[in-house]
Amino acid sequence: MTAVDDKPSAVAAPRFGLRPSLLIPLAAVAFAAAVGLALIAVIGVPVADAIAAFVDGTIGSPYALAASLNRACVFALVGFGFVLANRANLTNVGGEGQIAVGGIAATAVALYGHVAGLPLGLAFILPTLAAVIAGALWGGIAAVLKVRSGTNEVISTLLLSFIGVWLLYWCVQSPALLRKPMTSSATLPESLEIPDAAKLPLLTGDYGFPVHLGLPLTLILAVVVGVILARTLFGVRLRAVGLNPVAAYRAGISTTRTIVVALSAAGALGGLAGALMLLGEQYTLKDGFSSGYGFDGLVAGLLSRGSIPGVIAASLLFGFLRSGGINMEMTAAVPTALVVVIQGLIVITLAGAALFIEKWERR
Amino acid sequence: MSWELFAVFIGSSIRLAAPLLLAGIGEMVSERAGVLNMSIEGMMLMSAFASAVGAWATGDPLLGLLIGILSVVPVALLQAFLSNTLRANQIVSGIGINILVLGATTLAHREIFGARSRAEIPGLAKIKLPLLGDIPIIGPAVFEQVWLLYAGIVLIVITALVLRYTSLGLAIHAAGAEPKAVDKSGLSVTFVRYGVVLLAGLMAALAGAFLSIGDIHTFTEGMTRGAGYLAIASVIFGKWRIGGTTLACLLFGAATALQFQLPALGIGVPNALLIMLPYLMALLAVGGLVGRQMAPATLGEPYRR
Repeated sequence: MTAVDDKPSAVAAPRFGLRPSLLIPLAAVAFAAAVGLALIAVIGVPVADAIAAFVDGTIGSPYALAASLNRACVFALVGFGFVLANRANLTNVGGEGQIAVGGIAATAVALYGHVAGLPLGLAFILPTLAAVIAGALWGGIAAVLKVRSGTNEVISTLLLSFIGVWLLYWCVQSPALLRKPMTSSATLPESLEIPDAAKLPLLTGDYGFPVHLGLPLTLILAVVVGVILARTLFGVRLRAVGLNPVAAYRAGISTTRTIVVALSAAGALGGLAGALMLLGEQYTLKDGFSSGYGFDGLVAGLLSRGSIPGVIAASLLFGFLRSGGINMEMTAAVPTALVVVIQGLIVITLAGAALFIEKWERR
Repeated sequence: MSWELFAVFIGSSIRLAAPLLLAGIGEMVSERAGVLNMSIEGMMLMSAFASAVGAWATGDPLLGLLIGILSVVPVALLQAFLSNTLRANQIVSGIGINILVLGATTLAHREIFGARSRAEIPGLAKIKLPLLGDIPIIGPAVFEQVWLLYAGIVLIVITALVLRYTSLGLAIHAAGAEPKAVDKSGLSVTFVRYGVVLLAGLMAALAGAFLSIGDIHTFTEGMTRGAGYLAIASVIFGKWRIGGTTLACLLFGAATALQFQLPALGIGVPNALLIMLPYLMALLAVGGLVGRQMAPATLGEPYRR
């Protein structure tokens, strides 16, 4: 089984202007949005009301804007990981599980790691690091299976996602793990709230605009991952392994190590995304807290066609889509599943158009 | 464990393995011919939904099953078109289809059943096998299953015979192993590969209908919960052979059945661990027990003349 056959777009010399690699994703998004609007009309909701609810939920208030940006960070981190691993022709579809184990690790350390009194922000740095390590290990499992038994990473990361999600369920269901002490049968299956010191600081300190430290962190990582891919020896190794593993091996590149590092790094970014969700917004671990975020991040990575700015653009799009979708459900009675339909259409359209984009760019 | 409980365990293992088996065999044939359908999950969900709605609207589960099968045809054609004609990445396009179907069925479910909670959906009948069904204790627990399962077993036997003894079976195998040879022999690789994706779709449709109108007589949003991916894992585990795939599905079915059996025996294993077990076993299976060279040579690669 060989995975993605579209070559990393960075191989081509950078050209500017309206390239098909830019035009076609835009067209795909426009097409999917049009279908979405048509569906809203079919459901019988006035389209104007739905759009008003959508806009209200995305940029209608400082709070909505901040929520969209925080979501976009989660998608972007998973997307960066996808792009990084994909440079080596590895398809990491395990973001969902990586977010889940990241959230579990962050909660465990924040609640039971005696971090509350630590100075210098260690109270939130340590749980974040735990999440990164947990995610890296989760991604690393897929890497080890790939290297040792040739297991296709798509199927292993997918199965690991299911396992991670059920692990999360286990953690919040069992009082022996992370469930808060049961005082009555009505005690919800969720963890205690993490201590204030472990919460990610808000940039403005204002709960009306709750953008947290995750945003600058994501932007820094965007630069770091971009530089690694474009300017470092490791980036070259990734690309060499992706384009021709046999040739890379003959040239003295350790394909094994490259694969392990790439998938672990992707997992680490997924774990970090889980930490941002938990320490930045949700504060208590609940079943299904990662619901669909890993897949959205994966789709953002796919949409970007290997470019970091592309991931950011797609993540912003999905951050706003999700926020707007939630508000449409709450105020205009349009199910959020509509957003899922739109995303599916975008992925399918782009998958189908990949060949055209490639042919066009080679001319 | 008493005999009664053991018989119930065997019976529910088979019942829970049935959808995996139906979908898994279809997927195996398709992978033999070189096409990987990650969209099995979506096809199952589509059929689970459409057959439930069909059975509910017409009052006839048989019509529901038919509607379920028909509903998967466009999905399978889309997958075949993407992976054969547009030569799209089969993994990406499959996952895209799964996302689309999850969204579409959830949306439609809310629209149709939104106000009415848990509508009564007529289900497919159970049939007691003659003779075997009359065995005390074991008979009622093991040999009284939904008829769709027996039909599926017949289909699987036919598939095995066709693969093994006919030129069509040879062509399917060759389309995955040596597509150029198929092309030179005058047969269209694209044609064969469209055919196998449609077959995978048909089997996934039966599997999905089994889940909704065969097993629990209702539809819940996203009810396949990764069963399609388990089916794919069972194909890998089964080394792309009918017998192996069948055993793998039964194993996953038994692992799922433990969820209901162990608590009945008073064995205190966390529920989440048991739900996780089939996926864990699938991971171990694809990770540890399968060699590299087993997969059809061109699996996942679009053919280009």
